[in-house]
Amino acid sequence: MNKKVEPKSNKILVSESVNLGEEGLKGQKVTDPNVMMFESEREPNFLTGSEVIKAAIKRANLDVMIAYPITPQSEAAALIGELFAEGYVREYFRGESEFAVMSQCAGAAFGGARVFTTTAGPGTLRAMENFPMWAGSRLPIQVCVTCRGINSPLSIQPDTLEMAYLLETGMLVWHAETAQDLYDWILGGFMVSEQPDVHLPLALCCDGFFVTHTKDTVMLQGEEMCLPRYDPYRSPVPCMDMECPPIRMMRDPFIMKSNYISYMTHASWQQEIHAAVERSRKHTLPIMNGSLIDTENVDREILIVASGTAVSQGREAIRLLEEEGIKVGLVKIKSIRPFPTEEVREATANAKTIFVPEFNIRGWLAREIKAILPNNERVIAGPHVAGGMTMPSEVIVEEIKKGLGIKSATMDRRG
Amino acid sequence: MSKEKIQLSEALEDIMPSEYQEMVATATFGNEDRSWKDIGSSKELIEQHSLCAGCPESIAFRYILSSIPAPEDTVFVGSTGCTSLVFPMVGVQNIHSLFGNQNAVASGLKRALKVRFPDVNKDVIVLAGDGATVDIGLDMTMQSWFRQENFTTICFDNELYANTGGQESGLMQKGFVSKMAPMGKKFEKVRLPEIAFEAGCHYVACLTVSKPNRVEKAIRNAVYVAREFGPTYVQLYTPCILEIGKQSMEGLDEMKDAEAIGGRFVMKEFMTDEVKEFLKEKDAEQKARKKAAKAAVSA
Amino acid sequence: MEQYVVKPGPEAFLPPAAASMGIVLPDPGEAHYEGRIIDEEDAYEQIARKLLGAKVPTIFPGPLVLWKWNEKAGKKAEAIRELANALPARLIPMADYRPKYPKIDPEVEINPNHPNLTIWHNKIDACIFVGVHCHQANLALKIIRGGTDCFTIALCAQAGHEDACASFRDINVEKIKKLTETVKRLKSEGVESQALPFTQIKMTRAGRVA
Repeated sequence: MNKKVEPKSNKILVSESVNLGEEGLKGQKVTDPNVMMFESEREPNFLTGSEVIKAAIKRANLDVMIAYPITPQSEAAALIGELFAEGYVREYFRGESEFAVMSQCAGAAFGGARVFTTTAGPGTLRAMENFPMWAGSRLPIQVCVTCRGINSPLSIQPDTLEMAYLLETGMLVWHAETAQDLYDWILGGFMVSEQPDVHLPLALCCDGFFVTHTKDTVMLQGEEMCLPRYDPYRSPVPCMDMECPPIRMMRDPFIMKSNYISYMTHASWQQEIHAAVERSRKHTLPIMNGSLIDTENVDREILIVASGTAVSQGREAIRLLEEEGIKVGLVKIKSIRPFPTEEVREATANAKTIFVPEFNIRGWLAREIKAILPNNERVIAGPHVAGGMTMPSEVIVEEIKKGLGIKSATMDRRG
Repeated sequence: MSKEKIQLSEALEDIMPSEYQEMVATATFGNEDRSWKDIGSSKELIEQHSLCAGCPESIAFRYILSSIPAPEDTVFVGSTGCTSLVFPMVGVQNIHSLFGNQNAVASGLKRALKVRFPDVNKDVIVLAGDGATVDIGLDMTMQSWFRQENFTTICFDNELYANTGGQESGLMQKGFVSKMAPMGKKFEKVRLPEIAFEAGCHYVACLTVSKPNRVEKAIRNAVYVAREFGPTYVQLYTPCILEIGKQSMEGLDEMKDAEAIGGRFVMKEFMTDEVKEFLKEKDAEQKARKKAAKAAVSA
Repeated sequence: MEQYVVKPGPEAFLPPAAASMGIVLPDPGEAHYEGRIIDEEDAYEQIARKLLGAKVPTIFPGPLVLWKWNEKAGKKAEAIRELANALPARLIPMADYRPKYPKIDPEVEINPNHPNLTIWHNKIDACIFVGVHCHQANLALKIIRGGTDCFTIALCAQAGHEDACASFRDINVEKIKKLTETVKRLKSEGVESQALPFTQIKMTRAGRVA
């Protein structure tokens, strides 16, 4: 069951043991994330998504980044290497495969470090065994997933199918639409996933190329600020550094071998992971402007519900339809795990028809939405593009007209 | 953690299980010259285990835990297998995450501990079976050596997959008939000690656990060299008596046979000349410390 | 749908995590009681009354206070002992989190993997978790709610526990002392401890002596 959480205060809870004002890396000042994220002045910068990832990490007071090349995240991973060379990241190296990288990330997080990495497509799948392990072990690692195709024949092009595989790992899964989302959520993501009651890994997804390789105007704070450092002694599980009890401690023991109701321990453990996903809602609200979704004109009978860059294309389609007198509202889903069940139900309460455009062939987001809505025959899964195809706004316009029984010029000859 | 920090809160000390009270009172934390010879006179760091009766792995565990030079600042990384049934019972923090990724986990861990504790020697030690080290994890085992990571890899070589019921492994001897090798293994035992040295390990030892002195020396050498030079590797023959059809009391004989002239586990060590010199100095230091300690006692 | 309430069990074969039933943790300055957010100031008396009304009130100190890994931990341990004496309540340690072979002695220890054994064996009807890592506490709290009728209380140094029937967050030495003071005040006002007579366990290196 997914309940909506009402924001009480739009503030990020910060550990009392953090020394605000102390020096971070390269003379940066450790700043209250509330001041840094919400109050400090920002300047416009014209950057690619990869450069934006670098800009966020520069202010993240990061301990460890482990890199591996795979398109389209290679540039971001290499740019963080430059930050390491400049002294803005404490440790950085290239691993030998995504499976190894995610295990190296786990090792660093077990040892009490703030850890960041990036991956994409086949890399995400190669690393997959690690993700439920990260979540089960309560490791607050952040991985930026720059989505691309995963199936044979090989494609390096944008495709969000890989996100479907992340949904039941126990990780937090967010889907950035823009470079600005990416920037704010990388920094905010550490603050959410490191909360002691959450303490889970975060897969911060964005659409490869569309976000990573295009330039956009992004509002950035000054470089003199950085986040408070991660405090491993607030972790809900013991840090593996032989500095905290209990020292007779394996992370994590095979509770299936306990003699009594051990299977229930494992079940309880799994429940606790998903409970922690639920607890993240409260902490995520300040990061995401007070809600896990954004809405525009949801009193309208026709809605587009989407995540990632499909939202941008939907917004443009709505403008085109408006010119023809067809009024359509928009729901942007920002967090996929936890899923904004109540929020989407409320936003779509009056809708007669709900279109879900997606950059993957299977339509996993439409399936998620159908599963939680009453009268889910209202949901029309599509349009879908995949394998790197763009999704022209006109395609969404055509899908909506078709769904409404309005004739339109077909786009099928545009190739 | 310094030895001084391994103590109980006075106000609740008398409700703590006896084994912890015993550990605080007599375990050899903070004594660099701790040794397998302390077994019997001090609290061991392995509390209990669920291995088969007579399993050479259990005695290997006891020798290793009694001879590592700084348990108070050591973190072990294990892998899936019989060893992971022992690790929850060990009085040194340790990690199990997946099968075969132990050297990758250790790489991340060692670097994180270096970042967080730049002025403390935090020893990271991998201890995994031969399936984890040589088969499923070989890539990560060797890559950590190529990268010159500062930690020790210990492989418990029982020449098969024991925990899953005795299947063929890369370290199994050629011709041995087992599950998944129904007509006998078709290729030679992988020569990992030689490969390890070639791959960049600064100290390599391969031996059985029949002689505690030898095991202790190899483990201490490996830990010291890993601190100063880079990766080190110790391969220990810990036969799975269950899966090779031996009785509980036959493990020691099996190891003695294997290390006799012409056997698969005649002790061998590889190290660079630099390391040889370094270990000589370390030996001299230890001797001096022991002499001083003796003098202090008699004075 | 009705609001879920975090009450003592036995609740179910596998009770849900309270967070998945919509229970949200308190913010700083708040506590929770049976899943409802209450003012922290009000929580002291409610929890103190619950403990005084129990027949076998028991405190389960965890590794974070059993070990003196920093000065604060030692002081917390003292405050916990004072609370146990004031109530009075039994002290049973959760010394570590490992699955223990071949079995635990439920009279003198509690293990997060099968905490119900200790609850059942000692007929504990109200308990306090303190100094236990949050993840391990939640595992145990759910299992206790599932199979026992024990009222669970968490004195949490972090964000609190919605899987307990009641919990404080950001607990520190001063707050534990304040809970003890509240117990003493209630007793002076005539609220009597309902605790059955017992002898506090006492262990030495050689074994159990009391």
